[in-house]
Amino acid sequence: MIGQIVIHVLLGLAALTSLLFFAGYKRDDVMPTARVLYQVLTFGLLAAIGMLVINVVQHRFEYTYVQSYSSRELPLHLLIASFYSGQEGSFLLWTTLVALIGLALMPYARKHRYEAQVMSFYGLILTFLALLLVAKNPFAFVWETYARDGIANGFIPANGRGLNPLLHNAWITIHPPILFTGFASMSVSFAFAMAGLVRKDYHRWINIALPWTLFGTAVLGFGIMLGGFWAYETLGWGGFWGWDPVENSSLIPWLVSVALVHTMLVQKRTHGLVKTNMVLAVTAFVMVLYSTFLTRSGVLGDTSVHSFVDPGKFAFWILLAFMLTFSVLGAVLILKRRADMNIRREEFSVTTREFMLSIGGALIMASAIFVTIGTSWPVIMEVIGQPKVAVNIDFYNKVHAILLPLILITNALALIVQWRSTPRHLLQNRILWAVAISVGTTIITVVLGIRDALSVTLAFCAWFSLVVNVQMGWSFMRKSPSMMGAYISHVGIAILVFGVITSSLYTEMHHVIMEIGKPVKVAGMTVTFNGKEQIELQFKDREKFAYSVTVERNGETAVLHPILYFSDFNRRMSPFLEPGIRWGILNDLYVSPKATEYENVFHKTTVQRGSTFVMPLDTTISLQLERFTMPMEEGQTPDGRMQMAAMLSVPSQSAPAPSFKALTRIGTGAGGPSFDPVWTTIPGTHYDVALTRIERNNADPTKSKGEFAFRDGTKPTPVPKEIFTIELSVKPLISLVWIGVITMVLGFFFSIVRWSRMARVQDGSPS
Amino acid sequence: MNKRYLIGGIIALACVVIGIFSLSSSSIEYANLGKAEQLGKTVQVVGHWVKEEGSKYNSATNEFTFVMRDENNAVIPVVLHGPKPNNFEIAESIVVKGRVENGRFVATDCLTKCPSKYEGNAGDLKRGT
Repeated sequence: MIGQIVIHVLLGLAALTSLLFFAGYKRDDVMPTARVLYQVLTFGLLAAIGMLVINVVQHRFEYTYVQSYSSRELPLHLLIASFYSGQEGSFLLWTTLVALIGLALMPYARKHRYEAQVMSFYGLILTFLALLLVAKNPFAFVWETYARDGIANGFIPANGRGLNPLLHNAWITIHPPILFTGFASMSVSFAFAMAGLVRKDYHRWINIALPWTLFGTAVLGFGIMLGGFWAYETLGWGGFWGWDPVENSSLIPWLVSVALVHTMLVQKRTHGLVKTNMVLAVTAFVMVLYSTFLTRSGVLGDTSVHSFVDPGKFAFWILLAFMLTFSVLGAVLILKRRADMNIRREEFSVTTREFMLSIGGALIMASAIFVTIGTSWPVIMEVIGQPKVAVNIDFYNKVHAILLPLILITNALALIVQWRSTPRHLLQNRILWAVAISVGTTIITVVLGIRDALSVTLAFCAWFSLVVNVQMGWSFMRKSPSMMGAYISHVGIAILVFGVITSSLYTEMHHVIMEIGKPVKVAGMTVTFNGKEQIELQFKDREKFAYSVTVERNGETAVLHPILYFSDFNRRMSPFLEPGIRWGILNDLYVSPKATEYENVFHKTTVQRGSTFVMPLDTTISLQLERFTMPMEEGQTPDGRMQMAAMLSVPSQSAPAPSFKALTRIGTGAGGPSFDPVWTTIPGTHYDVALTRIERNNADPTKSKGEFAFRDGTKPTPVPKEIFTIELSVKPLISLVWIGVITMVLGFFFSIVRWSRMARVQDGSPS
Repeated sequence: MNKRYLIGGIIALACVVIGIFSLSSSSIEYANLGKAEQLGKTVQVVGHWVKEEGSKYNSATNEFTFVMRDENNAVIPVVLHGPKPNNFEIAESIVVKGRVENGRFVATDCLTKCPSKYEGNAGDLKRGT
């Protein structure tokens, strides 16, 4: 109850704070109150998180949210993480992060005499986020949520549904908070752009906002990479990127933000691209909202692996209104100031850095637009009344096969040319050198094994960019290390591109079926399944097995441990699979478990009801399948499973042949129902029979079939051996993907330091 | 001024052409089973796994087979190239991508609803007690 009141109070507080800051445009005296209210709002949000965490940790399952995403079995770090594992909690986390960033933004904006304008828009964003929280409230009680299902007031479920086992690892404590910090930071550039428009100050805001835009871009980029790493390391998707709508939805604002960083630099230097920057700052933020709408409103329902359930009408309309309000607000303000912003028109000649940066920005925006169109395509088609269509992921690969080389080349050219103008001889000289070195290194790359046209083209472009950036970066290293940010980031991008080429186009994959203890030879490797060991025995809600697979390759031996994890979360019906990885700088060995089964050690035969058949172990004996019994007739086994039986008889025996039962125990295991044999001796023989499968024919039950297993009762029963099927892949240089992204993020932080200093120095003079 | 707009225009035009070309070659229609059979080309079908019919993974051929029922209650055996998808049993619905060949749906991809985003239901609630 208190939780719900707090959320509503926070909404009022956010709206009031925003209004006070708007009033602060004209009246300085409201500002101290607005500041205090803002701080109260932030602490209120933190308190709401505190309450939610306490609810989760204390297992207060009368709260729908706690019941839906946690359980008594979860360890503390996962209990805490489960507060943002569902929609409601993740909105709360997002809102709180926006508020916390605002706590740092407020004094910063004040110092730069932008406080009222920036914080008013910032407060407006928080108001909408708080409205979302009212709609998707993490403090609802189960009897409110399930009122229609007849849940009585005050009902307290004994346990919660628990957290999806795929999320049971350290990554969930790291990835979402970082990603949401990135999302939250996108609000800052937006608020500055709006403030600039209000103040008719079209240039100064760039200086002040640039470090924040860089920060948001760096953090969001890092968060996206962590998601990719998580997918690779734990979820066993094999790769780090799948162009899934949820992945795309964080990539789109990042791309826009990257474009914005570049066009902001152009404006700082030349005072051009004034409107472009306004538009991009608005777009980056609106794309965060649009992506949230796409992935959280259920409109993409069937097209995403991450699929989200319909959040309810109210939340749907708030998300839509949120997005539309800020798009319209941005568009109206920009259009209103349009003429004003046109005062100065800059002409860029082609061989200048400002021109190349603009082209680069345009290309990155093209990428963002393609990803947006691809992700939205099913919705677009539905809206215009066409049959629903999905976009295959090769769409993204196709467009980026063209865009990526262009972006890399443009990047190199942008550094080769100079601001304002570039002397022709200098240009020719620099290009010649860079191309010569790149051709050399590309030839080495080809010798090392990169052969197809696309990869060679991409490799050349990446080398070209790398060479130019290293040259330039090197020359700055002595002069001023803080200037190196851009070069470091671009080197990171080039490294990432190499990693993408090798890991996505040169990964060898092998399907390997292994019987325990028997080495299998695959493409020069010897692969052995050694056995398995149950781990995490202290937990009663799971059976988790670490498999042991030895891979011998080029005289090197690696032991990998893929994991099969049966959890109560899906009633242990099928295992959650985690890959085993041998990490390496040159290549990763990657084992994805696919299936496990036991070899067939019994003689089996399948027969239709009513037919007579020969016993496979002794052809002198024939049997007749009379009918199947129902589970009710057999009762439950001691372990609570159902039993079914087939009534058999031996027709050669004295008529009427006495019938006997071949039994089976039905379990719900991997792959639907499983049938465990229960052995019965065939009367008058030393053979045993058991039922191992029933293939029901619903249309005509008399045509149902049964599968029987036989064994010789005088001989010891053979022990079935486990057969483990894996996909073994060798992923060359995938390490470059991680190294590349981390290098890129590192570069951003150099730039943040540089431009924060600049903002401090440059903003000393009034605009 | 002219040069700037010319180059911008060329880039924009090139992007539009690339986009249309790539989109048209990468779109996959949603269809029900009847339409999928009629079209005979790669489509996506939304439906449910018919639990009673079970499912089976053949490791030798790397094929996962099951029976699905679409929204019009049409039923078809599905052969998926690859192992059983994650969360197959608890999926609320599934989406298969592929085409109908000889009365079977040969799928290259199968998406299942991700339970991490599941809203619970009252049934779950009571089972917990």
